[in-house]
Amino acid sequence: MDGIDLEVAQGQVFGFLGPNGAGKTTTVRMLVTLLRPTGGHARVAGFDVAQQPAAVRRRIGVALQDAALDPLMTGSELVELQATLHGIAPRAVRARGAELIERVGLSQAADRRVGTYSGGMRRRLDLAMALIHEPEVLFLDEPTTGLDPTSRLMLWDEVRRLRDEGTTVFLTTQYLEEADQLADRLGIIAAGRIVARGTPASLKAEVGRPHLDLVLADSSDLPRARDVVASFGDHRPATDGCHLSIGLEHGAADIAPILRALDDAGFAVAELELKQPTLDDVFLAKTGEHLEGAAQPAPEPELV
Amino acid sequence: MSRCGLRQDLRTIGALMRRGLNEILRVPGGAIPGVLAPTIFMVGLSASFGEAARLPGFSADDFRTFIVPVGMLQGAGFTGAATGVNLARDIQQGWFDRLMLAPAPRPVLLAGVVGSACLRCLLPATFLLIVAFALGVSWPGVGALVLAALLIMGLAAAAACYATVLALHFRTQQAAPLMQIGTFASILFTTAYVPRELLSEWLRAIADINPMTHVLEGVRQGFTGDVTWASTWPALLALAGLVAAFGALAVRAMQRQGC
Amino acid sequence: MRAASVALARRALRNFLRRPQLLAPLVLFPTLLLVVNVGGLERTTTLPGFPRVDGFLDFQLAAAMTQSLLLGGVSTGIAMALDIEGGFFDRLVASPTPRLAIVLGRVLAASVIAALQIIYFLVLGAIFGASVKGGVVGVLCVLAIGIVAGTGFSALGVMIALRARNASTVQGIFPLVLVVLFVSSAFFPANLLSSPADVVAAYNPLSYIADGLRQPIAFGNALAPMLEGLAAAAGVAIAATSLSVLALRGRLRQT
Repeated sequence: MDGIDLEVAQGQVFGFLGPNGAGKTTTVRMLVTLLRPTGGHARVAGFDVAQQPAAVRRRIGVALQDAALDPLMTGSELVELQATLHGIAPRAVRARGAELIERVGLSQAADRRVGTYSGGMRRRLDLAMALIHEPEVLFLDEPTTGLDPTSRLMLWDEVRRLRDEGTTVFLTTQYLEEADQLADRLGIIAAGRIVARGTPASLKAEVGRPHLDLVLADSSDLPRARDVVASFGDHRPATDGCHLSIGLEHGAADIAPILRALDDAGFAVAELELKQPTLDDVFLAKTGEHLEGAAQPAPEPELV
Repeated sequence: MSRCGLRQDLRTIGALMRRGLNEILRVPGGAIPGVLAPTIFMVGLSASFGEAARLPGFSADDFRTFIVPVGMLQGAGFTGAATGVNLARDIQQGWFDRLMLAPAPRPVLLAGVVGSACLRCLLPATFLLIVAFALGVSWPGVGALVLAALLIMGLAAAAACYATVLALHFRTQQAAPLMQIGTFASILFTTAYVPRELLSEWLRAIADINPMTHVLEGVRQGFTGDVTWASTWPALLALAGLVAAFGALAVRAMQRQGC
Repeated sequence: MRAASVALARRALRNFLRRPQLLAPLVLFPTLLLVVNVGGLERTTTLPGFPRVDGFLDFQLAAAMTQSLLLGGVSTGIAMALDIEGGFFDRLVASPTPRLAIVLGRVLAASVIAALQIIYFLVLGAIFGASVKGGVVGVLCVLAIGIVAGTGFSALGVMIALRARNASTVQGIFPLVLVVLFVSSAFFPANLLSSPADVVAAYNPLSYIADGLRQPIAFGNALAPMLEGLAAAAGVAIAATSLSVLALRGRLRQT
């Protein structure tokens, strides 16, 4: 890590957005006391992670990138073990375990061994274990990676519910939409540094302008096409050979003149799309690169 | 908020010990090699080297009786090593992170992991004794068996602490041979096969300084004669030393995990 | 076929030398037992009926070699099972690789490892005062028996892996390997074994292999025991290789 300064208010969902290898998981592991920081300090739920780790652990819930489960135990057994480890009264362990199992939709599978669970079920169980002791702060490290769309939406609803109940949520993700949908405030991280900080709306407003994405019918003279539209706005890096992308100076009003100019120059437009600024644009503006998740195809959904 | 204090610590230890028993209760066939190996060793050694009991100065009626305690210690050693291998697997699979996130003090978590080894070591020992008695080894008496059980449980704890240190250092199951060889070797470089007087000079020198020799003799005394305090206190002292030394190293290793 | 077998043998050797958990048991465990057996049971050479040897180490070296070769077979089986579990076996089957090369490659690698194992124990013995009384011819004989036996044990390991398909089952065989070894004359002279081990030992090929290895080391060259050892090793190798080829065919029929 190259210096991380951030502050998360109580009851907020803080999104930590960045590509693979940016340092999201490393940051989380330091904040949840699994990794000793080599410099600086951090306080979670009012306690110093290095000096008072036990106090921190009592107040946080964690669902890591790889669900930390024991395949030989059943879902119920794991949740109840977690409850015991966190000091929930013996008489309340079973009831509390059943409550969490039902909350994450695993009642049918509760008595099956975790080794038989799908990836989505394991994630849900991991979340149940993170919530069993009603933590003040919940850390979710890429909780929806590999989940199918339905499960992802379910988890988003759960995060919103937790926020409404007053839990502070620290969420790391490489998915722009997830950060956009859930985070009250965002930190964008790249190569171990925070490159941007703020609400999703304020960050996008910083970048400013909408842009027009064009696909030409014939890409054989793309450089000339670029020259034709150069005066209408800044040219953005294209992602493939017949793609033009222009940041618009005057918004939608620039569309007709651009199309006319291309038509006059003999270029036919096969497709066009007007796009508003995204968090990827923010990332691009701050780092000069696209966020990996935006450039990659959507992950293979896993049925839960 | 969680409840602190001794009662909670005991609950934590109990819960982790119960989890540890899954290794023998829920892994189909997984326990068999560990349970069988000491018995096979005992039966095989006595089949091969049984005539060694005819050596002048041999202190038991037969070789099998003499090496039954070796098998019991081997069972405890293997169980302790298996604890480390399972911990390494937990580290590789991520479950160990879950354990490290628990608010319990690290020594309490370690006690839970090690405690399961103390219970599990009784399984190979029981199997070994059943086979040994069936093959004619004479009954040593309840007192001797209780003492033997206590000593091997203590040895399993020490072996589990040793294996835990290795698991936390290497963080991979590939370290399993180191864990197994360590416990295996320490038990054999003793009066395992013959009384002290019949050992080669160099092995006698090692056996004399090896604390495991006292533990072995403490377990053996009831099988070859009477249980006496003179043979018991060195065993208890040696075991206490092993548990204290490896326990301290294991606690230190646990406390260095994260914050 | 030859090229494929050699290529697969090379791969097997390379992987083997890179995996300490496969390598260590082959030499550490038998060396440990050898050291303890010699240190603990040296005096047994004075028992009536014990053959005349210069030292118990001379007698025990063959046992350590036999044990090491057997464990080599288990390790080969584990490596094969890991290939099956990890999908590399399926990749081979789906390629133009001759089927037989899958077994032969493993077995060829095993023969090289067996030679290394024998050399290790000969050197170890020499360091601690045991010499091969049969001289160069004796050393060559020991190598020959060891390589053939090691090849056979590895073929057995391959067969078990092809039937079991997972490494932990193969690993579970290890205690049984010890059983078979203990009921032989590997560790102690046949005439001094307890009953019923003495009866079993008379029919146990490991007895003849161990005695064949022992003859040139402890007693000097003698045709009968050395030929018996070689024949027993060859018998194991031929039977085990045939069984493993059959197991391979059986497995391929299922895929």
